[in-house]
Amino acid sequence: MSAERPTFSPFWHRVRAMKPRLRPHVQSTRQFYRGQRWHVVHDPSSNQYYRLNPVAYEFVALLDGKRTVEECWTLVLQNHGDSAPTQHEAITLISQMYSSNLLAVDDSPEVDQLLRRGTERRSKMIKQQAIGLMYFKLRLFNPNHILEWIEPIMRPVLNRWGLIAWIGLIVAALIALIPHWSELKNGVDDTIASANWGWLAVVFVVTKLWHETGHGVLCKRFGGNVPEFGVMMLVLFPSPFVDASACWAFQSKWQRMAVGAGGMLFELALAAVAAFVWLSVPDGLLKQIAYNAMFTCSVSTILFNANPLMRFDGYYILSDLLEMPNLMQRSTQMLKYWAHKFIYRLKDINPPATDRDELAILTVFGIASTAYRVFLFFSITLYVLGKMFAIGLFLAVWSAAAWFILPTGTFIHWLATSPKLADHRWRAVGVSMALIVAAVLLIGVIPMPDRRRGEGVIDSSTKSGVFSSVDAFVKEVHKRPGEFVAKGEPIVTMESSQLEAQIRLIDGYLAEATAVEREATAGNPAAAQVARQRVATLQEQKRFFLEKQDKLVVRAPHSGVITGADPQSQLGAFLKEGKPICDLIDVSKLRVTALMDQTEALWLYEQPREAYDVEMRLVSNVGEVVEGGAVRVIEAGTRRLAHNSLTFAGGGSIEVERLEQQSGVMAKRPQFQVEIDPKRIAENAQEVWAGLPGERVRLRFALPPRPLLAQWVDRLQKLVQGRVNL
Amino acid sequence: MSQAVSKYHALYESLLSRRSKPVLPTGLDRVYGRLAMKLRNSKISLDYLRAEAEASDRIHSTEIRELSEQSLADQIATVRAAFVRGRQDETALRRALALVREVARRETGEDPYIVQQMGALALFHGRIIEMLTGEGKTLTGSLAAPLIAWQRRYLHVFTVNDYLAKRDAESRARMFKRCMCETGSIQQEQEPAERFGIYARHIVYGTPKQITADYLRDQIRLGRMTTAWAGRHMMAQMSHMPGESGMGPMIPGLKACMVDEADAVLIDEGVVPLIIARPRREDDMSKVYVKAAAIAIKLDEGPDFEVEHVKRRVELKRRGLERLDTLFEQVPDPLWKARRRAEELVRQALVAQHCYIRGKQYEVVEGRIVIVDEYTGRFLPDRSWEHGLHQAVEAKEGAQVTADRETLARLSFQRFYRTYPFMCGMTGTAADATKEMEAVYARPVTRIPTHRPVIRAQWPMRVFRTAKGKWDAIIASIEEIHAAGRPVLVGTRSVAASEFLSAKLKERNLEHFLLNAHHDKDEATLIAQAGRTDLATGAAITVATNMAGRGTDIKPDEEAIKAGGLHVLLTEMHGAKRVDRQFIGRAGRQGDPGSAQIFVSLEDELVVRHAPRLRAWLEQFSKLKGGDHAALERAVTRSGGWDELDDTWSSRAERIFKLAQSRSEAHDRRSRESVLRQDDWVDKYMPGM
Repeated sequence: MSAERPTFSPFWHRVRAMKPRLRPHVQSTRQFYRGQRWHVVHDPSSNQYYRLNPVAYEFVALLDGKRTVEECWTLVLQNHGDSAPTQHEAITLISQMYSSNLLAVDDSPEVDQLLRRGTERRSKMIKQQAIGLMYFKLRLFNPNHILEWIEPIMRPVLNRWGLIAWIGLIVAALIALIPHWSELKNGVDDTIASANWGWLAVVFVVTKLWHETGHGVLCKRFGGNVPEFGVMMLVLFPSPFVDASACWAFQSKWQRMAVGAGGMLFELALAAVAAFVWLSVPDGLLKQIAYNAMFTCSVSTILFNANPLMRFDGYYILSDLLEMPNLMQRSTQMLKYWAHKFIYRLKDINPPATDRDELAILTVFGIASTAYRVFLFFSITLYVLGKMFAIGLFLAVWSAAAWFILPTGTFIHWLATSPKLADHRWRAVGVSMALIVAAVLLIGVIPMPDRRRGEGVIDSSTKSGVFSSVDAFVKEVHKRPGEFVAKGEPIVTMESSQLEAQIRLIDGYLAEATAVEREATAGNPAAAQVARQRVATLQEQKRFFLEKQDKLVVRAPHSGVITGADPQSQLGAFLKEGKPICDLIDVSKLRVTALMDQTEALWLYEQPREAYDVEMRLVSNVGEVVEGGAVRVIEAGTRRLAHNSLTFAGGGSIEVERLEQQSGVMAKRPQFQVEIDPKRIAENAQEVWAGLPGERVRLRFALPPRPLLAQWVDRLQKLVQGRVNL
Repeated sequence: MSQAVSKYHALYESLLSRRSKPVLPTGLDRVYGRLAMKLRNSKISLDYLRAEAEASDRIHSTEIRELSEQSLADQIATVRAAFVRGRQDETALRRALALVREVARRETGEDPYIVQQMGALALFHGRIIEMLTGEGKTLTGSLAAPLIAWQRRYLHVFTVNDYLAKRDAESRARMFKRCMCETGSIQQEQEPAERFGIYARHIVYGTPKQITADYLRDQIRLGRMTTAWAGRHMMAQMSHMPGESGMGPMIPGLKACMVDEADAVLIDEGVVPLIIARPRREDDMSKVYVKAAAIAIKLDEGPDFEVEHVKRRVELKRRGLERLDTLFEQVPDPLWKARRRAEELVRQALVAQHCYIRGKQYEVVEGRIVIVDEYTGRFLPDRSWEHGLHQAVEAKEGAQVTADRETLARLSFQRFYRTYPFMCGMTGTAADATKEMEAVYARPVTRIPTHRPVIRAQWPMRVFRTAKGKWDAIIASIEEIHAAGRPVLVGTRSVAASEFLSAKLKERNLEHFLLNAHHDKDEATLIAQAGRTDLATGAAITVATNMAGRGTDIKPDEEAIKAGGLHVLLTEMHGAKRVDRQFIGRAGRQGDPGSAQIFVSLEDELVVRHAPRLRAWLEQFSKLKGGDHAALERAVTRSGGWDELDDTWSSRAERIFKLAQSRSEAHDRRSRESVLRQDDWVDKYMPGM
């Protein structure tokens, strides 16, 4: 059921005889939103906007300072019947426009009222600033004269041809960059490295100024005013802003979107230019700066400004694209509406949407933006906590107050006093309590899986080399790295024509010696003795060579997995005796060496091994899970890295720092070095685990389930412990 | 003081008052405001008041009691001078109180008790004081009035009616004169010119309605003017004009007020807006209302619409809306084509037919609809409901439909009182409204102890299943107490109920007085007789609506006191606990013996409206008195026997009735709050008054 709209208001007498009129400098534009006509009334001097539906606009337009409010209202009522504003709506309209200074009332203003409104506005502004401390705004100056100077210069390109050229530029830059992709990728590390931060900051400020120029110039181009330039402290990081709200009065939604996208358009163009610079200059400072510019203008812009879930450019573009102004506010209202309807079962409420599409969009957007905001809160807070503990803590508490405690207070107030709940306040309180209890149970009581993550590398305790024990050519390769061989299984077959020739020669000698011996045995017993000895020697020799021949087939000294050099690469090559062919790892003795942050992994000492499970996955084969067996803490407080692949650069997640004097890197924070035996291999040595020494392994420790709250508190505590000492 | 000076003075003061638009704080400001108020007032505790009053009492007995007339006057002049300059400190206040007390003693012969002096001090400190009935509120007030008037220049004392205003003003005039204060009272029949002179006096008695209306008229006259310069200009032009228009504002600003029966005036009446209106000049709408009533009758409750009695609202269902479509089409008048307006009219007619009951909310007197005040049971002849509701009720009763009125100016009493920078008040039952007094008026409440302990006996509540059983039991109870030689005061909630009971008593040949809105002329005489036992028929039986709860005292005579004092019998619980307490407070005044008892039935409006489910539970499961005979009795019940709940169930029912009462109070409080918010909102954002 929809809300009633009584025609009459008890306060009508206060406006009835008034003869207000729109202030002469007020401008109005017609806009269409989702096929509906709206009128935006705009006061350029105070930058106030007011959106009116056609009937309300007709009513306001009738206020000319000669007709009384009552006359105008009656006229509208006659023309529009039920869709005309009720008295109450008319009063609201008049008073809102009056307090926005859009409407002039016939005689002298009430000074006290004006002053009070001014004070209220100011205190509201301060309150907003305080609540949004993470987005603190510092207003600086009016950039109008600067833009007036820049805009005519750029005007020739601010049209559709300019847009086409822009697309061309971006495409050209992308094409030019494709061959240098890996180089580009490698550059990212250098960019994030702290040595580069100074330049990055400079480039950031310049490009952001350029970004704002984009908004300002485009706004100016379509006839809007840009009255304000300032700096917003985005999580304490200053970034400039301009007030381009004048574009809200533009008639065309494409123009409004262009202003919203202006910053990004300009930045991307700059990124393209920087790309060409980067490609054409030799290594040096300029190249570095060009890279930085490219990085900030593309990556940061797209990640940041284009995101529609925060109130930045992307949001305004989306809101214009969907033709749904005040998207954020209305989506919040929408969520409230659902809660009111389904949780509190209120009657007499209307959704803030006009059609089904809008309803769906608002709902989806509301959920997404709320979730995102929560996510953002936690990630920003944790990030800042990590960087600057005191400030981070302050910011966290402050924003928690602004984003969670204040709304909770408002909610409780609503629950306690809202006249809408008057009939079944206890039910509403009950439902709310039930929800809270459910949430508390979920978070605070019901044990939830507690999983900790870690990273390690495979390591083996037994590794033996496989060598050629004869001088020979590699004839055939039976096994290649990664393949399992049982003990005695051939790995490589070699051939040696020399050896064969030698055997044949000996065979010849042997035949001869045998014949001599046979002959001598018959006639000459003394010579026979010599001959017999020779046969024996030759046979001895033959045995030696046969043994050598036998060694042509290189066999595994123990079961294991081939690793190291690929024997295949030796195929046909001549190997001298003692030359290594490959390595053989004893898979029954594989283990994982992991580094775990000492502050976060204290549970290693607290939990007995039986209490938790370990799951290991190879980075190269995430699908296969191997259970971990015994876990040993080898060393505590180490900062030495077990393997380079555990660092950021190696693809791991351990923060490192470069030491001045020594070469190489060390972990930034002390670590536990832990060894874990894979269970499956211990039990069944025949089975092959594809993991090879040096390969990165993701570890997941399934600790005994605990309520989420306990887990969070624990983690936060660890986090705090880790920082306070700093 | 020449007329001219005081004219500009009045203008200036009145502009000052109009500019002070007190805003209700919200959110944290509200919490802070309350805390700050508590802190500011924490010094004025009962102990402090008692100590001060006793100190004053010592000064009085040692220094002042024996003073000659002349030196008394001199001392008053000295003390007053300090007060006028705002230099009063605790010592000056003690002395001043002792002086005024002495004047009161010499002029009226009444020597106030310590508790009354404490009350006067609390009043001077801007408190709402609770003093039980018969504790001498009038005297307490008149002790504080000169002190406040000295300090604040003008004091308005609000009384319940014109008669009391006149009586008090006249009886205190000589006393105040000796305290160097001019006194006057505003009466309905006075002409503006006469009022002009009265408002210039220091202490002015009057009803809120009169004074508020004068203030509102002043404001209309001032137009949209906000500065004294504009006012001067206007007055210069207007002074040539004849009559009242040349005189400027009547009330020289709102400086201080003292409210008698503060809870009734500030809270119950507080939200009623005072409206100055004139009939609309447009075409006659009476036919429309009659038609709407005719259409509304055709709809059926249940399938077509549902009535929400608590909110006094009607919700049309789908079937009802469809039926309306066809019904509207049959009417030729184009007005019925405007769907929303037409629906509104029908809804209003339905509300008038189902939520407004003759004898409860209104009466028909000489073919006119007269609103009955639900708190006092008095007629409010010059009040009407707004936005066509009045017309809808007229149409329902077939009375002459009056013209719609057009509001010229509107001011809720609440806002009016809040305009006073200083306010204090007295009442018999403020404690129940403490929170609201503190929230709305930022005035703390102080309970002044009684001079003698209250020994009134509260008899257990009696609960009946049906109204019929209740009335039978009430009559039996009245007969019994009457036979014991005690005067009985029976309270009914509505005019209709009082008439009904009166008729019943007549059937039984019980002589009684009937005091309700129809008979309010003889109020004073009836009340004076209500405590007597020496009437021709023995002890007095008085049947009265709640109007008997306030105003003049009922003094039981000696015989009555010997027999056990006055017995108060309430035939129903009122929506506000205060009203019941006030009425019960009639018995056992000033330490007299007395008793009180409440009779309720499960058919009473209070539980039907505010605790329907619990009521149904009671109805289904409760056990009747008489144990094993219950079933038998139930059979009797149908034919009109007694059907009283047994003791356990009675006490359960009592709790439910109290719950319903607190729900009803909460409901009223909410609606008052919403009126207040609306008022505030309008003041904040709209130009003008």
